[in-house]
Amino acid sequence: MNTIENNLHTIDKLSELQQRDLWMNKLHPLTRLLSSVIYIVLVASFDKYDIVHLAIMAVYPFFCFMVGELSLKDGLYRMRVVLPLVLAVGLPNPFFDRQVLIMAGSFAITGGMVSMVVLMIKGLFTVLALYVLIATSSVEDICYALRCLHVPKTIVIVVLLIGRYIYMLGSEASRITTAYRLRAPRQKGIHYKAWGTLVGQWLIRSMDRAQVVYESMCLRGFRGDFPESKRGVRLNDVLYTLVWALVLGALRFTGAVELIGQLFVA
Amino acid sequence: MKTGTEKRVLEVSDLKYSYEKGHQVLKGVTFDVNAGENIGLIGANGVGKSTLLKLLVGLDLHFEGTIHVSGHSMSRDSLTHIREHIGYVFQDSDSQLFMSTVEEDVAFGPRNYDMSETDVEKRVADALERVHITNLRKKQVYKLSGGEKKLAAIAAILAMEPDLILMDEPSVALDPRNRRNLISVLGEIPGTKLIASHDLDFIVKTCSRTILMYDGVVRADGPTKDILENAQLLEECGL
Repeated sequence: MNTIENNLHTIDKLSELQQRDLWMNKLHPLTRLLSSVIYIVLVASFDKYDIVHLAIMAVYPFFCFMVGELSLKDGLYRMRVVLPLVLAVGLPNPFFDRQVLIMAGSFAITGGMVSMVVLMIKGLFTVLALYVLIATSSVEDICYALRCLHVPKTIVIVVLLIGRYIYMLGSEASRITTAYRLRAPRQKGIHYKAWGTLVGQWLIRSMDRAQVVYESMCLRGFRGDFPESKRGVRLNDVLYTLVWALVLGALRFTGAVELIGQLFVA
Repeated sequence: MKTGTEKRVLEVSDLKYSYEKGHQVLKGVTFDVNAGENIGLIGANGVGKSTLLKLLVGLDLHFEGTIHVSGHSMSRDSLTHIREHIGYVFQDSDSQLFMSTVEEDVAFGPRNYDMSETDVEKRVADALERVHITNLRKKQVYKLSGGEKKLAAIAAILAMEPDLILMDEPSVALDPRNRRNLISVLGEIPGTKLIASHDLDFIVKTCSRTILMYDGVVRADGPTKDILENAQLLEECGL
């Protein structure tokens, strides 16, 4: 399999995860979106040296991976493109912030080192929370939740169509590169002289297919909106968001961590 | 044999169409379709079969002549109404199915016409039942085989309960088993169908009337058996 096929395969796998008949997948889309947003906002709001309180926020992804029957290994693997970027954000910190916070024997731990780790943890938690969201919610689900939040229709439709067309663009690219590779077996990759032609072909073919998709939509009454069946909010949807908002809020704004720590010490 | 009392679902009169100046694809096509008829549309490559089908559903309105669908004249204003009466099964089912699951795709049309969820549910169940793919209801579209995609595409059109279904090369890329299955399914579906195909055997098995196109006009229109047994006519028309 080439890289494009690998990526299409990843999309297929994510799609399979989204379609599973699990409790978490059945939650109202708005519940899943709001919980993720609350979590990400709270994680991002921690102080740059507050590593202890931040670490306890692992409870949310831990819970979601357990209940959502998701594999942490797969999650980290699938987010491998974003993870290094997110983790690299704090790398310069040790050079700028040299204030010594703790002495571990003769080794000085500076503020820069701590803030670098804090940024890395924040990045990791955010990526994991996003993975939980996309592994349990389809593009349609997320768009439905956005519509519930009164995000403008045009923006939601654009997101939805991007979701639709991205797979189509990928499959066209896969066909073209496969056809090229089969007729250039001794070449490694695509020769730069063929790049222009292939990209041109790819765009033209994708546009043709997109046109057929659009025509098909119009013939079935598409008038600029994707109608969806209305999904009622159940009690457990409300409770789920509420409980997480309270738990995460408590972990962030109260001394809950110290309290838990004291309980363990006692 | 047509009688004056039959309900006419499609009337095409002196239809002319050009992709570019000097290259006229359709040079005055005239025919009509009565309710309940199964009609094969045959002709050599490039004769304008697919173009004709696209004009019949209003995907291009730059034509001369007249098209009436269920009594409505084809124009920009009547498009929404016309498309409620006419369904089009594309040659490439891959592009026709754009929702994530079979169920969602089949429900797309009825939902767009503001039906209640109960009605949508009923339409989806009926359409899937008719083409015998109820078991694929929750299946993701990309996981379907070629034959299943074709049936799902037909179900998506059936869910809209059109007066007339147009099909562009429905048997293309199907293996013999799926082709046989499609023939059987089409035989069970009531209603009016206009099927464009090169697959003459498929036309024999699904259509009682055939329209033969050649050089941008209707060269012959009559019982399928009579037309397909006329080897000289077929040869003259490039088939």
